[in-house]
Amino acid sequence: MANWQDLKALSGLEEPLKRMARRNPSYYARYAGEDDEFGYKLSTFALWEPFFRFLLEDYFKLQLRGVENIPSEGRALLVGNHSGLLPLDGGMLSTALANRATNPRRIRFLVTDWFFTVPGLGDWIQETGQVRATLDNAKKLLDREEIVGIYPEGIRGVGKTFPQRYRVLDFHPGFVQLSIATQTPIIPIATVGGDEIYPNFMNMKAMSQLLHMPFYPITPTFPWLPFPLMFFPLPVKWVMNVHRPIDLGYPVEKANDRKLVMRIAKEIQYEIQRDLNKLLRERKSLFTGWDIDDEEQ
Amino acid sequence: MARFTTTFKQYIKHVQRADRYFGYDLRGLAKISNLLGFLYEDWWNIEFSGLDRLPAEGPAVIVGNTSGLLPWTPLMLIYALMSRRQNPRRVSVLADMDWIGDERAYQFLLELGFVPWSSANMKRLIDEGDLVAIFPEMFEAKNYWERYRLYEFDWTRLLPAVEQNVKIFPLASIGQDDAMPTFLNLDGLAKFLNIPSYPITPFFPWLPFPVNLTSYAQKWHMHILPACNYERKTGRDEIEEVVKTQARFIEGEIQAEINRMIRARLKRHEY
Repeated sequence: MANWQDLKALSGLEEPLKRMARRNPSYYARYAGEDDEFGYKLSTFALWEPFFRFLLEDYFKLQLRGVENIPSEGRALLVGNHSGLLPLDGGMLSTALANRATNPRRIRFLVTDWFFTVPGLGDWIQETGQVRATLDNAKKLLDREEIVGIYPEGIRGVGKTFPQRYRVLDFHPGFVQLSIATQTPIIPIATVGGDEIYPNFMNMKAMSQLLHMPFYPITPTFPWLPFPLMFFPLPVKWVMNVHRPIDLGYPVEKANDRKLVMRIAKEIQYEIQRDLNKLLRERKSLFTGWDIDDEEQ
Repeated sequence: MARFTTTFKQYIKHVQRADRYFGYDLRGLAKISNLLGFLYEDWWNIEFSGLDRLPAEGPAVIVGNTSGLLPWTPLMLIYALMSRRQNPRRVSVLADMDWIGDERAYQFLLELGFVPWSSANMKRLIDEGDLVAIFPEMFEAKNYWERYRLYEFDWTRLLPAVEQNVKIFPLASIGQDDAMPTFLNLDGLAKFLNIPSYPITPFFPWLPFPVNLTSYAQKWHMHILPACNYERKTGRDEIEEVVKTQARFIEGEIQAEINRMIRARLKRHEY
């Protein structure tokens, strides 16, 4: 629950790092002084974490199932369906894992190049843990036994219109190649909720070309309302289902076997889509979500 | 009947020596061929692609998605294969038909090419070299907000096909869930009447009898995907393992193709 302490941190009355050290000592102990050349800064993360935690716990009321499947040590590759016009799903997952009861960890999401062209946004994205999406960066991070997050749908996945919600786009198979080449287990994650926080009526192609944006959505708030209000999301109930790690078990040479890589990428995509279908079928309502009995499981 | 014989000459020639063990009868199709033709060509204006992928002869299995209490998707598949100029083929649809209490309706479905599902029946059809279609979601009415989201496939249905190393073609179709939107499923009433589902649609059950079975004139798209490759195994446990992964994969293939088709349909409204 976001509280007065968090507000103090957000308004700058309390030093964010100090507050994090007090509130989340295991995360602080693990990542203090771990700032790297990719631009991670614990202080920036500590500053923004209360805001994202407010969204996570009080606004979207995210229910994270199977969080214990993410290992407490060692490398892992998180793969999921992308959603929400602003890629909030990554932020939610990072925040949730940073606040895990035992062995909190950070996630390094691979981010498309477009974000770095937006003034002011590039640095912030790197400081909170994200990394420019290249194969080299991902390999480096995995060699350091970090958790790398990938949304193989890419930026297209974020710009799905409302009638296409929770219809997974075809995955780019690069993540399977990466997994085999670095012998990393893949952890699929299905997210329900993200596609409904900003109902996207249509993508204006001409506008997006004019403004060099990946897409230009029209939502109930965007672009009608003045600046911060246009990004106001609907309080939809979220659930994230973390699957068991998949150890592919292929030798490193198989990373260049295109047919095999395509097949595995498809299988993982279908697994996530299947889980999304199941979660949607079980959902009782958009804003209250699933049954309480399900949550207790 | 005369018109039927001239229009479907090729088809009639093809089915002359077909196996009639399960009660297949050309007269059944002749009775409703006009209706099927009207629905296929005019009302739903079906765009069917990938039919060339099916073999001209020899056994093959088609696995598709459907929804609704009336088996319109299988009937449209039957009509599409029947009305082809080249290589028209008979298709037998395997379905759970035990719930159908009405003897005439049951008999009529058999005449059209429906076959009660059992592993032995499927094996027999495959041995005869027939084209077999399975719709794992047959007779289930999906709610409108669940439209085009597949239920989990029952993998045991694919077991006979994999055992006999038959090619499996996934069939993805969109349109039917918009043509007949189901707002509500009355499970209690369905159980009471001993039918799989009791849907409430804009037409059913409000309007008088034949009119309540109508639908919107929504365009359908149907697409047959390339056959799935699977490993040939001999051991019983190994075969079951292959079937389980194969059923999941086929379900995913169909769902992914449906997603692509829906995206293509929406693309027309982009600016």
